[in-house]
Amino acid sequence: MNFSIIRYILGWILKIEGAFMLLPCLTALIYKEKQGFIYLAVAAVCVLLGQLMSFRKPQSNVFYLKEGCVATSLSWIFMSIFGCLPFVFTGEIPSFTDALFETISGFTTTGASILSEVEYLSHCSTLWRCFTHWIGGMGVLVFLLAIIPMSGGSHINLMRAESPGPSVGKIVPKIKYTARILYLIYIALTLLQFVLLLFGKMPVFEALNTAFATAGTGGFGIKNDSFTSFSPYLQWVTAIFMLLFGINFNVYYLILLGKFKKALFNEEVRWFFIMVIAAIGIITINIYETSGSFFKALTDATFQVSSLVSSTGFASANFDAWPAICRTVLVLIMFVGACAGSTGGGLKVSRFIIAAKSVLKECYSYIHPKSIRKIHLDGKEVGDETVRSVAVYVLTFLLIYALSMIAISFDGQSFTTNFTAIIACINNIGPGLDAVGPTCNFGFFSNFSKYVLMFDMIAGRLELFPLLILFHPGTWEGVFRKKVK
Amino acid sequence: MFGDNSSKKEKMNIIIVGCGRVGSTIVEQLSKEGNNITIIDKDSEVIETLTNLYDVMGVVGNGATYSVQMEAGIENTDLFIAVTESDELNLLCCTVAKRVSNCSAIARVRTPEYSKEAAYLKEKLGLAMIINPDLEASREIARILALPSALEVNSFAHGQAELIKYKVPSESMLDNLAIMNIGKVVSQQVLICAIERDGEVYIPSGNFIIKEGDIITFVATRKQARKFFLSLGSKVKHVRDCMIIGGGKTTHYLADQLLHAGINVKIIEKKKKRCQELSTLLPKAIIINGDGTDEELLREEGIETIESFVPLTGIDEENIMLTLYARQVSPAKVITKINHINFKNVVNNLDLGSVIYPRYLTSEAIVAYARAKKDSLGSNIETLYHLFDSRVEAIEFLVRPDSRVINVPLMELALKKNLLIAFINRNGSIIIPSGQDCIHPGDTVMIVTTHTGFNDIEDILE
Repeated sequence: MNFSIIRYILGWILKIEGAFMLLPCLTALIYKEKQGFIYLAVAAVCVLLGQLMSFRKPQSNVFYLKEGCVATSLSWIFMSIFGCLPFVFTGEIPSFTDALFETISGFTTTGASILSEVEYLSHCSTLWRCFTHWIGGMGVLVFLLAIIPMSGGSHINLMRAESPGPSVGKIVPKIKYTARILYLIYIALTLLQFVLLLFGKMPVFEALNTAFATAGTGGFGIKNDSFTSFSPYLQWVTAIFMLLFGINFNVYYLILLGKFKKALFNEEVRWFFIMVIAAIGIITINIYETSGSFFKALTDATFQVSSLVSSTGFASANFDAWPAICRTVLVLIMFVGACAGSTGGGLKVSRFIIAAKSVLKECYSYIHPKSIRKIHLDGKEVGDETVRSVAVYVLTFLLIYALSMIAISFDGQSFTTNFTAIIACINNIGPGLDAVGPTCNFGFFSNFSKYVLMFDMIAGRLELFPLLILFHPGTWEGVFRKKVK
Repeated sequence: MFGDNSSKKEKMNIIIVGCGRVGSTIVEQLSKEGNNITIIDKDSEVIETLTNLYDVMGVVGNGATYSVQMEAGIENTDLFIAVTESDELNLLCCTVAKRVSNCSAIARVRTPEYSKEAAYLKEKLGLAMIINPDLEASREIARILALPSALEVNSFAHGQAELIKYKVPSESMLDNLAIMNIGKVVSQQVLICAIERDGEVYIPSGNFIIKEGDIITFVATRKQARKFFLSLGSKVKHVRDCMIIGGGKTTHYLADQLLHAGINVKIIEKKKKRCQELSTLLPKAIIINGDGTDEELLREEGIETIESFVPLTGIDEENIMLTLYARQVSPAKVITKINHINFKNVVNNLDLGSVIYPRYLTSEAIVAYARAKKDSLGSNIETLYHLFDSRVEAIEFLVRPDSRVINVPLMELALKKNLLIAFINRNGSIIIPSGQDCIHPGDTVMIVTTHTGFNDIEDILE
C-alpha cells in the first residue's frame, strides 16, 4: 500500500476544498453576514492542513486500483467532515451528526435534508450547501486530475473509483485533458442553465444555487417547498437541465466534435429517453384529473420524472399524494437512475440494459443450449467480465439495501418510509415517500439510522466497491510489515 | 477537443498499433515524453493492462481498418506506428493510415525478403521509417564482435564515430588515473563521457579518477578506438569464429554480416526444417541440427575453444543460462540477447558482459524520430541512444545556421550541468573538442547528458 500517495492526494483534496470555501466567504461579504468569518477560518484550516499533508512529494507515484479506491473513499470522508464544520460552528446545524448528514448529502448529490426550515439559513450557508452538490457532481478527484500534474498512468485508478458507470474510459489520450474536457462541459452547462433561469426572472442568488443543485443532480432546495412556487418556465428549464445532466457526458463531447450521428445513436441515451417519456406519459394520464389542466399535469409529471430519474430530487408537487400507479413508476425509475458517465446517481441505465440483455441471452440458451452468444452495447461486444461485474454489482446493491433497511427499521417508521429512504440515499436522489416524502425531511431518524444512511449515500456515489474495500481486511494486509529495500 | 488544441503545439498525437514487446516499450518511452498516445490492439486484456500502466487511451480492434483508425482519431495524428506481429498487417495499417491523414507512418518489417526491399517499400508507400529490430540487433552484435574488448558499441555520424562501453579490468593502466591525464598516458583522441560505478552514473569532469571495475563509455573514431585498446593491451582484432545458438531471424541477419566480414559461423538449431532453410540461405555457415542447450553437444562443437558465443534463442532464460555456462567453460566473448525481461536489476547483477535489448534498439530509433519531428524546424536529431538503463542520453544534433550556439568558443557557452559535448563532426572528420573550439553551422554535434527530453541543440544552454 502506497501511503505516501494517499496522504498527498488527501492533502490536495483539502486544499481544493479550502479554495472552494472561499465562495461562501465571498457571498458573506456581499450580504454582510458575519458567518463568513467562520467559513474563512475553516477554509484556512483546510488549506494549512492540506499544505502540510501534501508538502512532501510522495516517494513513489505508482499506485494500483486498491490505493485508488482507498484514496477516493478517504477523500470523500475527509471532505465531508471538513465541509460540515461551518454548519456546526455557525450554529445553523448545531448537531455534528446532522451537519455531517447534510454535507454528505450535499457532496454525494443526494439532497436529502435534515432541515425543516431552509429559508432561515444565512446566504453563505445556503450557497455552500448547494455548492457541495456542484463539487460532488463531477467529482473532486476528477477536478484534482484536471489541475495537478501527475506522471504515470496509474491515476486512471482514481477516476475509475470516482466516476459512475460499469466501465470508465477516456475520451482523449491524456487523463488530464479528459478531466478538463469533462469539467469544461460541466461548467458550460451550469452557466447556460444559470442564464436561462435569469431570463425567467429568478433572482441571481437563487438562480446560482438552483444551477449548482441541478448540475450536480443534487436537489437541495432553497425554499421550504422546493420548486412548487416557481413559475412553469423555471420548472421546465430545470426539468430539461436535470435530464441533460443525467446524460453521459461523452455524448456532449461527440456533439462538440460534430459527430452527431454517433452521439444520437448512443444506445444508453436512447433507452434513457424512452424510459423517461414512458414514465411521463403514464403519470400525466393518471394525474390529469386531479391537477385540473393538461399542461399542469404534463409539467408536474415531466418535472418529477426528470427530477427522480436523474437523481436530483427537486419537488414541484407533493407526489406522495399521487395515485399508487404514479408512485410505483416513480420508485421504479428511482432504481434505474441516470446514464453512466453523467453526474446522476442510480444503478445506471447501461447496467439495466446489460442485465436485460443477459436475461434474454439466458432465455436463448434454454432454446439453443449449445449456442454461443455475446451481448452487444452500442454495436460493441460487452466482455464477459463486464457482464459478471454488472451482476455482482446489482447483487451487492441489493445486499446493502436489505441490511440498511433492517438497520433503520428499529426506528419504528413505516415500511414505505424505510424502503424509500434507503433508495433515496443509496441512489443519491433525496426525497422518498411517506415520512420522507417531498414535503418532509430526514431529521426525525435516530443518529444510528443517520449514519447508516450516510454510509449508503457515499457507497452509492462511489458505486459501492471503493467504499466497501475500505472495510476489507485484505486492503490493510501487510501495512505494518517492513518493506524490503 | 479543448485538450487537443492546447496540447498540439508541444506534444504530438501518436497512434501505436500492436502492443507486443516492442509496442509496449515504445508506449512506455513515448508516454514518458508526454505525448498524446492512443494504442490499438486486438486483445482487450493487453489494452486494459497498458492503459492501467500508462496515461494512454486504448482502442480494441483491428488497426488496419478505417473505422478503428477513425475511432483512434487518425485525422489529427502526427505519427502512426505499426508494430504488430505481422509485417503485412503493419504495411497495410500504414497504407490505410496514409490515405486518411498526412501523418508520418512507421512500420516494423522483419521478414528478410521484405527487409531487402525496405528502401523501395519505404519510398513507394510513403513511409517515414521502416524498422527491423532483428536487423538492428544483429548489427549491434556484429559491431561488438568486431571489437570484442568492448561491452557495447554504438555508431554515430554515419559510422565515423563510435560510442564504446568498456569495463576497466583489474591491473589496467586506467586504474587510479584521473581523466585529464589519460591524454598523457594513453591517447588524446578519446573522450570519456560517462562512468558507471556501483550503480551510479557520472558525467565526469577532468579530475575524476577512474577505478578498476568502472564501466566507462567513451567516444572515438573507429581507428582511434583501436589504438586506445591497443595501448591498454586489450584485444583489438575481430573474432575469428562465432557460435550462434538458435536459428531465428536475428541469426540469419547476423550470420550474413559475419560471413561477409570473414568470420566463421557455426549455428546450432533445433528444428531440422529451419536448418535446411538456413543452409540454403547461408551456404558458407556450418549448420548443426541439435539442441543448443545440451552441454555435451556444445562441448563437442568446441565451445571451449571458440572465440565468440552468441545465444539467440527465443527464450531469455535460456540465453542467460547459456551465457553463464559459456563464461565458465570458455574464454569466448559472449553476447546475450534479452527480449522481454522485467527483472533488469537481477540481470545487471549477474554480470553477463555484453547484453543487448532488441526492443530498446527499436524504440530508441522511434523516440529519436518523434523528438526530431516535434521540432518545427524539422529534423535536428540525427541519432539518439539511451545508455545505462536510460539514465544517460547520447544525442547527435545537426546544427542549423540560425542556432545560438554557433561561432562561440565552447568555454564561453553557458552549458547545463551534467552535460558533455562529446564530438563535433565537420564534413566527415571527427573533432574531439577543447574549450577553444567553436560549433559551425552544418556540423553535427554529439551531446552526452543525464537530462532527458532534449529536442534541439539549444537545449544544452542554461
